[in-house]
Amino acid sequence: MIELTNVTKYFRTNAGKKYILKDVTMTLPDGNIGILGRNGAGKSTLMRMLGKIEFPNQGTIHSNNTFSWPLGLGGGFVGNMTGAQNVKFVCNLYGLSKDETREVIAYVKEFSELGDYFDMPIKTYSSGMKGRLGFGLSLAFDFDYMIIDETLSVGDARFKKKAKDVLLKKIENCHVILVSHEMKTLQQMCQTGLLIHDGQLYYYDNIDEAISRYNDINKKGK
Amino acid sequence: MVARKPLHIFTAVIKALFLRELDMRISVGKSGLFWTFFEPFLQIFIFVAIRVAIMNHTGKSMATHYNLAVFMASGFIAFNLFKHILNASKGAFQANRGLFAYKQVKPIDTIFSRVLVEMFLSSIIIVIFLAVGFITEQDNLLPENPLMLFAGYIWLVLFSLGVGLVVAVGNTFFVSVGKFIGIISFALLIFSAVFFPLISLPSAAQDALLYNPLVHFMEMIHGAYIVGLDDRFVDYRYILMWTVIPLFIGLWLYRRLEKRIISQ
Repeated sequence: MIELTNVTKYFRTNAGKKYILKDVTMTLPDGNIGILGRNGAGKSTLMRMLGKIEFPNQGTIHSNNTFSWPLGLGGGFVGNMTGAQNVKFVCNLYGLSKDETREVIAYVKEFSELGDYFDMPIKTYSSGMKGRLGFGLSLAFDFDYMIIDETLSVGDARFKKKAKDVLLKKIENCHVILVSHEMKTLQQMCQTGLLIHDGQLYYYDNIDEAISRYNDINKKGK
Repeated sequence: MVARKPLHIFTAVIKALFLRELDMRISVGKSGLFWTFFEPFLQIFIFVAIRVAIMNHTGKSMATHYNLAVFMASGFIAFNLFKHILNASKGAFQANRGLFAYKQVKPIDTIFSRVLVEMFLSSIIIVIFLAVGFITEQDNLLPENPLMLFAGYIWLVLFSLGVGLVVAVGNTFFVSVGKFIGIISFALLIFSAVFFPLISLPSAAQDALLYNPLVHFMEMIHGAYIVGLDDRFVDYRYILMWTVIPLFIGLWLYRRLEKRIISQ
């Protein structure tokens, strides 16, 4: 369960405040949630706020669940560390023992299919490679919620399928909050939907309903 | 995932960052690590040579009653620690930006871990120096007052941490703070009584230099180390002020700006 209380979030731009959320109070029941919204509506900002690395200007977001770091393209890495060093760092961060760390490194190396690049600095990676590394790394931990921002679209078709299969298996034991522009993926992974539009959040019990509302908004926008 | 206690998380984060920083130092280039340990030797060699040359030139039999190499080493190791902590904190937020994606990692943790790395490297340098001094049979190698020396060292670290924190936060929002540090760093070396005892200066110069808090730290450390030198110039209240006020300002600024630093 995630409780948002009077949450207001805005960014200052040259044209004044641009509101992402305007005094939103809402309780989200546990479940796999797909987040929908037009470009720039604030989907990623919302994810970052759930991951506690971005903060509302007013109000609070509270939950007793554990959240993964927001999995996006390339976030959460330091460029001059190698892939292996980054993985080791995260293991240390979560207080894993030496043996566990070794297992995680082996697993991520195998899953991400980076080969020799695994021991190269992250700055030599393409964004798809970073996404693969980050996704593989997150799978090695057990969170209540995985926060995923478009990562499923990394890599070639074969890797995409593999990632999707693994994730489907993973979410049997945990929940997922997913941002995606692929409606098919959303329908496959999520049961409920959250639409973010004009500074307001709209929650739908059914992802299909959320998608059709989203399509309505897109049509009006044209 | 099991919920952990805040202290447990904090220590895990510091440990992870500490290992990361060390890892970087070692893997980024062997020359960097070599320089870390060689730099103080070079500094001390040069400054001992200069002092000896000046003494020969003036012709006065100013043979010091203390061991010059030991004097230089105790001064430079302490001064370098200050300088390195300041430089390390300056870039700490910037260099670790990517890691703030993990909510456990708070920006201030990167400063703490960098300070620990500098202390760790500094202790290795101290051990190397003592070993070299022992092998070359230097006289008066061991400190006169080890406990006081240790206290002075820790105090210097706290002072550096306070100043470093202010610089780190300032540097995030005003770039010029970092540039300023680079410029005054060299001037500080000359005006901080690192390679000469304050007592050897005329009293007008002594009074002027005593506004510099580092002079007090150097005098405290030299006084505790060298037999025949004492801490008569050290104003403990003055350096306490210089420790508490920057720490307070730094922590206050940090608390106010932490969220902006994370999501910048």
